[in-house]
Amino acid sequence: MARAVTPQRKIINTAAAWAVGLAIFFPILWTILTSFKTEAQAIADPPIFLGFDWTLENYKVVMERSDYAKYLWNSIIIAGGSTLLGVIIAVPAAWSMAFVPSRRTKDILMWMLSTKMLPAVGVLYPIYLLFIKLGILDSQIGLVIVLMLINLPIIVWMLYTYFKEIPGEILEAARMDGATLKEEVIYILTPMAVPGIASTILLNVILAWNEAFWTLNLTAAKAAPLTAFIASYSSPEGLFYAKLSAASTMAIAPILILGWFSQKQLVSGLTFGAVK
Amino acid sequence: MTLWLERHVPKLVLAPSFAAILLFVYGFIAWTGWISLTKSRLMPKYDIEGVQQYTRLFDAPRWDVAMNNLYIFGALFIVIAMVLGLLLAILLDQKIRTEGVLRTIYLYPMALSMIVTGTAWKWILNPGLGLEKVVQGWGFENFKFDWLVNPDYAIYTIVIAAVWQSSGFVMALFLAGLRSVDSEIIKAAQVDGIPTTRIYTAIIIPSMAPIFLSAFIVLSHLAIKSFDLVIAMTNGGPGYATDLPATYMYAMAFSRGDLGQAASSAMIMMLVVFTIVVPYLYSELRTRND
Repeated sequence: MARAVTPQRKIINTAAAWAVGLAIFFPILWTILTSFKTEAQAIADPPIFLGFDWTLENYKVVMERSDYAKYLWNSIIIAGGSTLLGVIIAVPAAWSMAFVPSRRTKDILMWMLSTKMLPAVGVLYPIYLLFIKLGILDSQIGLVIVLMLINLPIIVWMLYTYFKEIPGEILEAARMDGATLKEEVIYILTPMAVPGIASTILLNVILAWNEAFWTLNLTAAKAAPLTAFIASYSSPEGLFYAKLSAASTMAIAPILILGWFSQKQLVSGLTFGAVK
Repeated sequence: MTLWLERHVPKLVLAPSFAAILLFVYGFIAWTGWISLTKSRLMPKYDIEGVQQYTRLFDAPRWDVAMNNLYIFGALFIVIAMVLGLLLAILLDQKIRTEGVLRTIYLYPMALSMIVTGTAWKWILNPGLGLEKVVQGWGFENFKFDWLVNPDYAIYTIVIAAVWQSSGFVMALFLAGLRSVDSEIIKAAQVDGIPTTRIYTAIIIPSMAPIFLSAFIVLSHLAIKSFDLVIAMTNGGPGYATDLPATYMYAMAFSRGDLGQAASSAMIMMLVVFTIVVPYLYSELRTRND
């Protein structure tokens, strides 16, 4: 709602909005700060906000003791792999629904999306057993496949909403000029669809990166990503807040940084394309 | 041949997604449904025995707690997140200078794994360390805040963390909605001297009804699926005071070795989703088609 705001009101509003922002950011900030404290300072009474002796000790210990690199690598492979595979399958599907719609297209789309609403526990055990049979329990490839399938409806849906906004006249004009189906997709559709695809990819990487239900249930030592690492870290070392914070900071840093440099895609992706 | 291809390509490219979802979702749900009718314990058995798993489930006090928690958690979480999200959107819509950055900060909790941010919440809500100590340090010696370890109140700490995680997301939806309200109508109302609060309650908010619906659908689906939140913050405890259906099912399947119970609880969860979410989804579909 655009309307005139007096300068004082504007300052008060901005201050209020920033106060809320700080409150929201506080738990994240606190985790980062705690990761640089000693264990004693992390649980000091009263809590210390900034006046502590900054140390990198926690990071060193976490890296040495728990093979952080392996978990990080698993996270990258699983998030990247499932996203890539999902987009490859979803782009043609979304393309056909957006540009060659049939009577059933809307129904199929809604049906796909509705499956996403179903709780994952309903399919957990059969997949678990299937994975044992196929010998892909606790493997990267297994998780890539599962996370791809889990997020496929969202990828198709999001790409569809973006593709819908590409004017069909452009495609008709290209066809008039004799472009083949392949050329149409490569030279016209793809460049116009890049922003939408980028938001979709970012959302999917975030979803897969944060996925805990499937990764906790289907991995053990070999293919466990960072979420499983944090979960395992927090039980036996429950009282070691500083080290746990260091591990947590390393797990969220990639998303914080990636999100900061692609804010537009982040907002667009996290709202499932509702905010363009 | 090429002509045939061109005509059928749309269907062919849709087929893999279609088939994957069909098998993956319905095939496996059917399997779970089957198992819920057997006497499976540690390993699946396939002889149908009737509905005894369901009677056992409804007799289990722990399942009662889990379902009750789902109602409390779901209702509070959805209502509070919607109200806060709307207020935040209205605040950000007041021509704030650094809106873009603030919007990103408000959305950050949604982008981060709750398994990870749960750590900070455990510290903040820990009676011996966080909020309680800070407030006591300000001179309120008698201040107590032990919800995290109090079986009667622990579920509300889950609500707090869930609201923290999702209200920025609701804010972003509503903010987009506020921007799409026809500014001519608002100007006309302002010229007529209608007070701002009245403009919001009578014109702007009613016109955002579809956004309320989308927010409701996404939030309810988040509520029913909440799993990592509980695992990260309380692990279902103290005792099983913060169990939700998802964690109940998980405990039955993987630590209790009671597959039949796990399957029947999964089927009940499925039923809850179907009765709550799916009607909304289809009403949404119908209005969009019109």
